[in-house]
Amino acid sequence: MYYFDELIVAEIRKKSEVALRELYKTHFPMVVNLICTNNGSEQEAKDVYQEAVLAFYQKVQQPEFVLTCKIKTYLYAVCRRLWLKRLAEKKRFHGNIEESESFLGIEEEMTDIVEKEKRFDTMSRAMEGLGEPCLSIIKDFYIHDLSMEVIGGKFGYTNADNAKNQKYKCLQRLKKLFFEKHKEE
Amino acid sequence: MNLSPEQIDLLDRYIKGKLSKDEAAAMDRRLASDDEFRWKAEEHFTIIRELKFHEQRKHLMQVLQAAHAEMESPVVTPAPEKTVVMRPAKNYWAISGVAAVVAIISIISTFYITRSIKDEQTAIYRELRRKVDQIKKSQNIMMADMAEDKKEKKKSRGNYVGTGFLISANGYVTTSYHVVKEYDSVYIENEKYGSLKAVVVHSDPANDVSILKIENARLLNLSLPYSIAKTETNLAEEVYTLGYPREDVVFGAGSISALTGYKENPNAYQVSVPVNPGNSGGPLFNSKGDIVGIISGIETQTAGVAFATKSTVLLDVIKNEALDSLHSPLVLSKQNTLRNSTRVEQVKRWKDYVFMVKVFKN
Repeated sequence: MYYFDELIVAEIRKKSEVALRELYKTHFPMVVNLICTNNGSEQEAKDVYQEAVLAFYQKVQQPEFVLTCKIKTYLYAVCRRLWLKRLAEKKRFHGNIEESESFLGIEEEMTDIVEKEKRFDTMSRAMEGLGEPCLSIIKDFYIHDLSMEVIGGKFGYTNADNAKNQKYKCLQRLKKLFFEKHKEE
Repeated sequence: MNLSPEQIDLLDRYIKGKLSKDEAAAMDRRLASDDEFRWKAEEHFTIIRELKFHEQRKHLMQVLQAAHAEMESPVVTPAPEKTVVMRPAKNYWAISGVAAVVAIISIISTFYITRSIKDEQTAIYRELRRKVDQIKKSQNIMMADMAEDKKEKKKSRGNYVGTGFLISANGYVTTSYHVVKEYDSVYIENEKYGSLKAVVVHSDPANDVSILKIENARLLNLSLPYSIAKTETNLAEEVYTLGYPREDVVFGAGSISALTGYKENPNAYQVSVPVNPGNSGGPLFNSKGDIVGIISGIETQTAGVAFATKSTVLLDVIKNEALDSLHSPLVLSKQNTLRNSTRVEQVKRWKDYVFMVKVFKN
């Protein structure tokens, strides 16, 4: 039905970054137009749009995902909602937010998007508080999957046990920071 | 209890699938039976899940950022649309030289002219609360001249006066936030009701709106003849105000001159109503007698430019703060019985609901 859209979805499923970039570039002008004609700047358009594209990307990764409308429609609806929300926060908008986009099932989507953003922010702040070299050690071990020996060598620890000990301390601190921030939310 | 390094180590290997079959089975059993351990372990799993989530999202954001950068250049530079290559004839070089000089001169002069215009446009927004101090001081001097006792006149300092008006029959009054910005006590006063004690219920500095409640309002048995406009009003609509720039109530008339306020603020109107310090917080009402705004300030250096916060903003503040769900709910009046009266009749009724707001700060 939507040849280009189907292609993009298939590629994004394969986690193709090229497709993601193309998708991003295709619909940005529409969103700039939407935001800039509604009290916003290009920078704000960029923020909102990136969040919407991220949400779409994650949605596509779900195994049960089916394309039920044009990607453009989806992105427009999500951007619109996100923007209305931000406007409401800035108290610059005094109109009616309840316009039906219910056919897209956007409602759940919105809470999900907001929650993901929050999770990301919480971890970002915890990581900031953690500092170096802790952050690199933790990342190397849990994300890049390096062994304790390699990490020890990299950071100049005399043996793997020392490195392991350091990693343990770092992890405890990260946990403390993260769950504190988490509670504040 | 925190997990020991050994336990963390086990859990890490468990996640990465590096435990032996027996160890994994033992771990499964422990997770199923030991609640406290499972709780701690789940915390550990959460952190790792969030770490991975964070990393993935960050990576994607970088990809999008890159896409944006790629896009930016072609968007900004206009695409060369079938440019017809025109080669200027050699003879024209002198003329084009003259044209270039003219262009440069005009650019430079425009630059200077606009700059000087900018310098002139340093109009400043001014809030319209009236400081009573000044009057008090001159009064004091007069009193001193008359050789009166000075002590008694020095009761309170730094008082401000503004205007406010009733928005509900059970005694809620609205005014500008900057009128009641600093206060120890607030009294409202007019001819009909005399002086009444009021408390500040809610302040919204961003929108310059404050809501007060008259204490013991029940005794007054009020009813409102006007309502608050739910939609924005139109350009050129005739509007009126009542306020207390002096001790007596003053009427002013004008029209809506712009649908935005100072510096294009979409929450305010520009109005051509004569206002002075003391008018702040006063009602702006239309020919039907409905409230369309709250007088808030003027632009200095430009005559006849005043600003009023829109009534829609006021309604929004009331709605957002859930003031209608208070112990004594703020019930907005919905009826307008002034609609068909003459202006004089309207103002006669109206002025009973407009108050001088006196703010005392010691």
